[in-house]
Amino acid sequence: MNDEILDPLDAELARARSGERAALAALVQAHQRAVYSLALRMLGTRDLAEDLTQDVFMQLNGNLRAIESNKHLGFWLRQVTSNRAIDQLRRRARVPMTSLDDEQQLFSAEDNADPLLQRHLRALLSDLSPPARAVLLLRYQEDLDPTDIALTLDMPINTVKSHLKRSLETLRERTFGTQPARCEDNST
Amino acid sequence: MSKEIESRVHAALRPVAPSEEFSQKLLARVMAAQPVQPKPRRLLGAGARPLAWWLTASLAACLILAVGVQQHLEQQRLQQSGLEARREVVEALRMTSQKLNLAYEAVKNQSTSLSDEKSGV
Repeated sequence: MNDEILDPLDAELARARSGERAALAALVQAHQRAVYSLALRMLGTRDLAEDLTQDVFMQLNGNLRAIESNKHLGFWLRQVTSNRAIDQLRRRARVPMTSLDDEQQLFSAEDNADPLLQRHLRALLSDLSPPARAVLLLRYQEDLDPTDIALTLDMPINTVKSHLKRSLETLRERTFGTQPARCEDNST
Repeated sequence: MSKEIESRVHAALRPVAPSEEFSQKLLARVMAAQPVQPKPRRLLGAGARPLAWWLTASLAACLILAVGVQQHLEQQRLQQSGLEARREVVEALRMTSQKLNLAYEAVKNQSTSLSDEKSGV
């Protein structure tokens, strides 16, 4: 029904806006996982992801009064994290997607995790342009629909849809297609 | 096939938690940061920015005008002193010419009287 009234973090947000540090800490704890994951999968290394996560939350401290609800806060955090990661990736000519230490951390360690798919997914993420990478992560990590992704990245909805379609087609081709040798080459 | 791969990507891309050490460091930094105070309202209203722009533009225009006028006056002063110098040179030439005429007349009179004396003998 009305999520904004029922969301307990809205009360924390109101307290944080009035200057209560503990309430801000609660908001950070609630959102740090999403921000960190987005930063990690966009930038590819833990150090860069931690720096970006910290910068985003410090920026939040200065913009807290502009945030109207916990839902708005989620939108704001995703937007700032995505845009700053895209800017960072564009500033650097070529970025290694992961360091060896981060390879395991890049994906969730589920019991039924598919290592082949994870390998292809990692290769796909490193091949995608920064905006296309953000689109894929917002869709499947943050579970946003294309309309929300378009709003978050300030991108036409048709561009979002075409990024998603192309990314999935590439992943499907690499995972189930007839080119396993190429995938093996990427992994070594 | 499409739904299957989407659900598998979805599962693989579940959010991962940062390290406990980083999480503690982040919280400590956020707690230590100064809460942002609301900005005091400006005395000038919403039109302050255009007003400031107009003031700056007017000052710049006045400055350009003053420089232009000063250059024009300097040019006029130079022109005036040039005319004055020319007038003085013309005056000097006129005076020199007068003196030369007087000298010529004197020499001419002297030579006439000498020839009269010779013819009188």
